[in-house]
Amino acid sequence: MPPALEASGVTKRFGAVVALNDARLTVGRGEVHALLGANGCGKSTLCKIIAGTVARDDGEIRVAGEARALASPRAAEAAGIALYYQELSLVPQLTVAENVFLGHEPRGFGGFVDETTLNDRTDLLIGRFAGVAGEGFTARTRVSDLSPDQRQITEILKVLARKPRLIIFDEATAALDRRQVDVFFSIMKDLRAEGISSIFISHRLDEVFRVADRITVMRNGATVADFATAETTPEAIVREMVGDVRLGPKGGTAAPAEAAEIRLSVEGVTGGRLQGVSFAARRGEILGLGGLQGQGQKRLLAGLFGADPFTGGRVLLDGEPVAPRRPADAIAAGFGLVSGDRARDAAFPGRSILENAAMASLVRDKARLILLGPLRSRFSRTLSGLKTRYAGLNAPIGSLSGGNQQKIFIARWLAARPSVLLLDDPTKGIDLGAKADFFAIVRALAGTGATILIYSSEDADLLSLCHRVLVFNGGRITADLTGSTLDAMALTRAAYGEAA
Amino acid sequence: MATLLDGRLWLITLTALLVLVGVNAALQPNFLEPSVLQSNLTTFLPLVLVAIGQTYVVLAGDIDLSVGAVVALVNVTTVSVIAALGGDSQSVLAGLAAGIGVGIACGLVNGFFVAVLRFQPIVTTFATSIVFAGLALRILPDAGLPVPEAYWRGYAGGLFGVPTVVLVLAAALVTIAVVGRRPFFTRLRAVGGQRTAAFQTGLSVGRLRIAAYVLSAVFAALASLCLTGETASGDPLMGQTLALSSISAVVLGGTALAGGVGGPFGSLLGALVLGMIGNVIFFAGLPFEYQTLVQGLIVLAALAGGVLVARR
Amino acid sequence: MDRLIQILKDPLLIAALAILVLLGAGELLSPGFARGDQIVRLLTVAAILGIVAAGQNLVVLGGREGIDLSVGAVISLGAVIAGNVMSGNDAAILPAVAAAAGAGFLVGIVNGLGVTVVRIPPLVMTLGMMGVLQGALVVLSRGVPSGNAAPALMAFVNQPFVLGIPGILFVWAAIAVLMAFVLRRTAFGWSIYAIGSNERAAVLTGLAAGRIRTILYGLSGLFAGVTGVCVIGYTGNSFISVGDQYVLPSVIAVVIGGTSLAGGSGSYTGTILGAIALVLLQSVLTTLQMEFWSRQVIFGATLLVLMLLYGRQARLRV
Repeated sequence: MPPALEASGVTKRFGAVVALNDARLTVGRGEVHALLGANGCGKSTLCKIIAGTVARDDGEIRVAGEARALASPRAAEAAGIALYYQELSLVPQLTVAENVFLGHEPRGFGGFVDETTLNDRTDLLIGRFAGVAGEGFTARTRVSDLSPDQRQITEILKVLARKPRLIIFDEATAALDRRQVDVFFSIMKDLRAEGISSIFISHRLDEVFRVADRITVMRNGATVADFATAETTPEAIVREMVGDVRLGPKGGTAAPAEAAEIRLSVEGVTGGRLQGVSFAARRGEILGLGGLQGQGQKRLLAGLFGADPFTGGRVLLDGEPVAPRRPADAIAAGFGLVSGDRARDAAFPGRSILENAAMASLVRDKARLILLGPLRSRFSRTLSGLKTRYAGLNAPIGSLSGGNQQKIFIARWLAARPSVLLLDDPTKGIDLGAKADFFAIVRALAGTGATILIYSSEDADLLSLCHRVLVFNGGRITADLTGSTLDAMALTRAAYGEAA
Repeated sequence: MATLLDGRLWLITLTALLVLVGVNAALQPNFLEPSVLQSNLTTFLPLVLVAIGQTYVVLAGDIDLSVGAVVALVNVTTVSVIAALGGDSQSVLAGLAAGIGVGIACGLVNGFFVAVLRFQPIVTTFATSIVFAGLALRILPDAGLPVPEAYWRGYAGGLFGVPTVVLVLAAALVTIAVVGRRPFFTRLRAVGGQRTAAFQTGLSVGRLRIAAYVLSAVFAALASLCLTGETASGDPLMGQTLALSSISAVVLGGTALAGGVGGPFGSLLGALVLGMIGNVIFFAGLPFEYQTLVQGLIVLAALAGGVLVARR
Repeated sequence: MDRLIQILKDPLLIAALAILVLLGAGELLSPGFARGDQIVRLLTVAAILGIVAAGQNLVVLGGREGIDLSVGAVISLGAVIAGNVMSGNDAAILPAVAAAAGAGFLVGIVNGLGVTVVRIPPLVMTLGMMGVLQGALVVLSRGVPSGNAAPALMAFVNQPFVLGIPGILFVWAAIAVLMAFVLRRTAFGWSIYAIGSNERAAVLTGLAAGRIRTILYGLSGLFAGVTGVCVIGYTGNSFISVGDQYVLPSVIAVVIGGTSLAGGSGSYTGTILGAIALVLLQSVLTTLQMEFWSRQVIFGATLLVLMLLYGRQARLRV
C-alpha cells in the first residue's frame, strides 16, 4: 500500500529568499509524523504547499500514491488533506458551528442549511473536550466571544469535521492548557486507530516524543533527517535541527551590582491575564520574562508601553509614577518597544530604511523640520555600529532580511535614548548569526545603564542573555531566577508551575 | 444589551421606524389610509430594493457604487427595447427581460474587475458607474420615450386585490429569507469577515464575491423596473442618488461596512427609515430650503449612531 | 529585464509619457493644439484641479481607505462664500480667500473627527458630509446664484500676470513646492507616510495617528475651499453645484499620479502630472468632437486601465 503522503524535491522561492530547497516528507498510513526544525526552516511553508494555500515552484507530491497538483485549498481538500492553521482560519463574526462546518454545511430540504443538525453535530464535537473546554463554549457562541484556547479547540474541531485522510497540525497545542493537550492527544490516538495520518508540528519536544511515531527534521529549507521516534533521543533531534552548534556566549556582561539604583518598579499591576504582578528592575539590568507562551508576559509589556493600559496597580520610573494611556505617553517617559512581529508592529512597508529608523527619535525630539544631511550621517553611523548590511538609507525596508530589519528597529529606539527598553519576542524569525549580533547590541545598551525587559518564546534566548528571569504562570510571577538558580531545568520546571 | 442585540441590530432600526411612523401619522392624519400607504411604498420601494442588493456586496467586504448607474442603464434599455418592439404586451415582457439581463451583465463586469482582477472595489465601481452612465446616455440621450399604458397601469394596480408594490415587497422578503438560509449566505459573511480564513477553508472566494455583485445589480435592475413603472418613461439620469442612499440604508440597518456582520432585512428597514425621515421633515412644515440640510444632518447623525452602536 | 519593467511601471514616467502622447495626438488632430497660449490655457484648468487634488492626495496618503468625496460640495461652498464676501469688490479678495479656506478647513476637520473619533468609514463620512453641505448651500443661496467674483481675481486666474502666465499658475507652483517640502522635509510629512503605510506601527512609535489624520482631512477641506475661490475667479460667478464636477477627477488625478489608494506611498509631483494628463485627455476628447457619452465611457475605461497598473490588491494564494 502506498504511503498517505509522499513529497519529494519540493522547492519554493519568495522573491530572492529561498524558503524550500529539496524538501522531502513521507507519511505512512495511520502514522503520527512530527515535522521539526528551527524557526524559518520551511516547515510551515511545506505544510501550506501540501494544503494548497501556497504554490510550489517545483517538486512532486503524491497522496495515497497518486500525483497531485494541489492547486488550491479546495483541491487539497478533495485529496483528503486538512490543515490546522497556526494563524487561525476562523471567521470571528460567525458562530462556532458556522465556522466548524463552513463550506460543508449540512443541508436539509431543498438545499437549505439544516441548522438543527449543524448545531447538534457541533455540540457533539465540542463534547470531546467535555470538562476542559471552559465556560460559554457552545455551537451557537460567536467565535469573537471565545478565549484563545477555545478558538484553538474550534480550529481542531473544524479540521475533524472535514473527515480528512491526512491532517496537518501546525502548532495546534500552543494556546492549550495541559488538560486540553491531553484530550487532544487522545483524539490523535483515535485518529491513528482509524487509519488517519497526521503531521504534527510543535515547539515542545516533550509533546513530540509523547505522540509521534516518526520524526522528520528540516533545516534551511531542506529535509536533513528522518527517524523512528523509538530509535532517537531529544538530543539527537536538537543536533540535527541546529546543525553547526553555535549558541550565544553566556553572560557577556557582569550583572549590575546589587547597589545599582532601582529604575523601574511595578506594583500589583492587573489587566488581561495579569493577576497582580510586582517586581523591580535596576539600571543596567537585563530582565527576562519567562514561562510558557501566553502567561501574561506580552500583556505586561503592552501595559508598560501604554498600548493596552493596565486596569490596576501602579508603575514607578525612577521613583515617579507613570501611567501611560497610549504609546506616546510611554515614549515621552522614556520607554521603547521592539517587537518580533515586525510586519505588524514596526515596519512602514515601502518606506525607506532612513524613515523607518528615524521615526521614533523624530517623535521623541518633537522635530519639525528634517535636516536630511545630519540625520543620514547619524543613522549611517548607528547602523554600521550595529553591523547592519544594507544597500543604502534610501532603499526600502522590505529589501532587508528579517535580522537586518530588526537592527533597523533597534536603531530606531537607540536614537530615541530610552531608559527602559521593552523587547517583545524580538528574535522571532531571525537567523542565529543575526541573533548573536542582536544580543551583543542589547548587552551594550544595558552597559550604558538602560534597563531591558525581554520576553522570548525561546528559553535559550533568555538563558544566554538575561541577568535575571521572572517566570510567569497564569498571570502571576511564580519564580525569580538569577545567578546559580538560573538554568534550563529550573526555567522549565517553574514554567510548568513546579517548585524550583 | 450586548448579547440581546447580538446580530439583531435591526431591532434598533425597527424601533426608529415605528417612532417615525408614529410621528408621521400624527403630522399627516391620513397617513395610515391604504392609498397613502401604497403611494409611500411606491416611493420607497426602489431604494429598498437597491439597499437589499447592496447588503450582499457589503457583507462580502466590498462596496458597489455603480447601483445608481445600473438603474439608469436598465431603465433606458427597457424603454428602448419596448419602443423598438412596438409597445405591445409581448414587447413589455421582452423589455423587462432585457433590463434584468443588462443588470446581470453589469454585476458580472463589476465582479470580474473586483474579484478576478483584484481591483480596489470603491474606485472600480466608481469607474464602472461612469461607463454605465455613459452607455445610458448613448442609448437614450434625453429623457422621454414613454412606456405603454399596460406597464405603468400594471405597476400602479395590483393582482387579486393586492397592490403590485406590496407583491414586489413580499417577493423581496421571500428572496431575503431564501438566500439567508442557503449555505451561500454564511459563506458570503465568512468572505467579508475574514477573507484569508474563508480562502484557507476552501471557499471559492472569487465566485462568492462575483455572485454578490450580480445579486446587487439584479436588485438594482428590479428597482429600475419599479421606478420605470412609477415615472412611465425613460431617463438616462435616473437613480443618481441611489448609491449613497443605499449605503446609508445598509449602515442604518446594522450591517458593518467592514463586512461579515448584518443582513438585508436590516437594510430594508434602513431604507424605510430614510424614506420616512424625508416624509416627516416634509410634513413638519419646515421651510423648503431647510429640508435638504435637515435631511442631510439626520442621515449623517444616524450613520454616526449606526457605526457607534455596531461597534458597541 | 525586471529592472526595465520596474522603471517602465514608474507612475511618474507613465503619466509624463501620457502627457506627451496626448499633446502629440491633440496637435495631429487639430494643429495649434500644443501652441504656447493653448498650453497655458490647459494648465490653468489643470491648476484648479491640481489644487483640490493636493488635499485629496494628502487624505489618500494617510491610509485607512482615506478618500474625501465632499471636496465638490466644499468647492461650491467656498465659491458661494467667496462670491458673497467679494461681491465684485477687489478690496475684499483676501478676506474672501480666508473665509472660503477657513470654512473648508472646518468642514474638513469635522470629516476628520467623524473618521477618526466616531470611526465612520471615510467614503461614507465624506459622502454624508456632501449631503449636508448641499443642504447648507440651498439655505445659504436660497436656491439662486449669488455673489460674484472681483475683477482683479478674474484677471489673476484668467489673464497673463507675469511673463504671459496667469497668477493662478504661480499659486499652483507655490503649492507644489510647499507640498513637496512638507512631505519630504518635515516630520509631519514623514508621519503621514508612516500612518498611511502601517498605522499600528506608527502608533507604537509614538505618533498620534488620529490627530494627524484629522488634520489631513482639514487640509483637504482647506484646499477645496481655496479651489472654490479659483473656480469663481475662473467663471465669474457660482452656482450651488459648481464643484461637483471636480470630485471624481480629483481622485483620478491622484491615482494616475501613482499614489496608492491603500495609503503610504505616492507623491504630489505625480498628482500634478496626473491632473495635467487628465485635463489633456478631456481636451483631446473635446477636440475629437466626441459626444458626451463616449467621453464618459473613455474616462471610466481609462480609470479601469489605471487600476490594472497600480490599483490591484494582493493575491490570496502566494
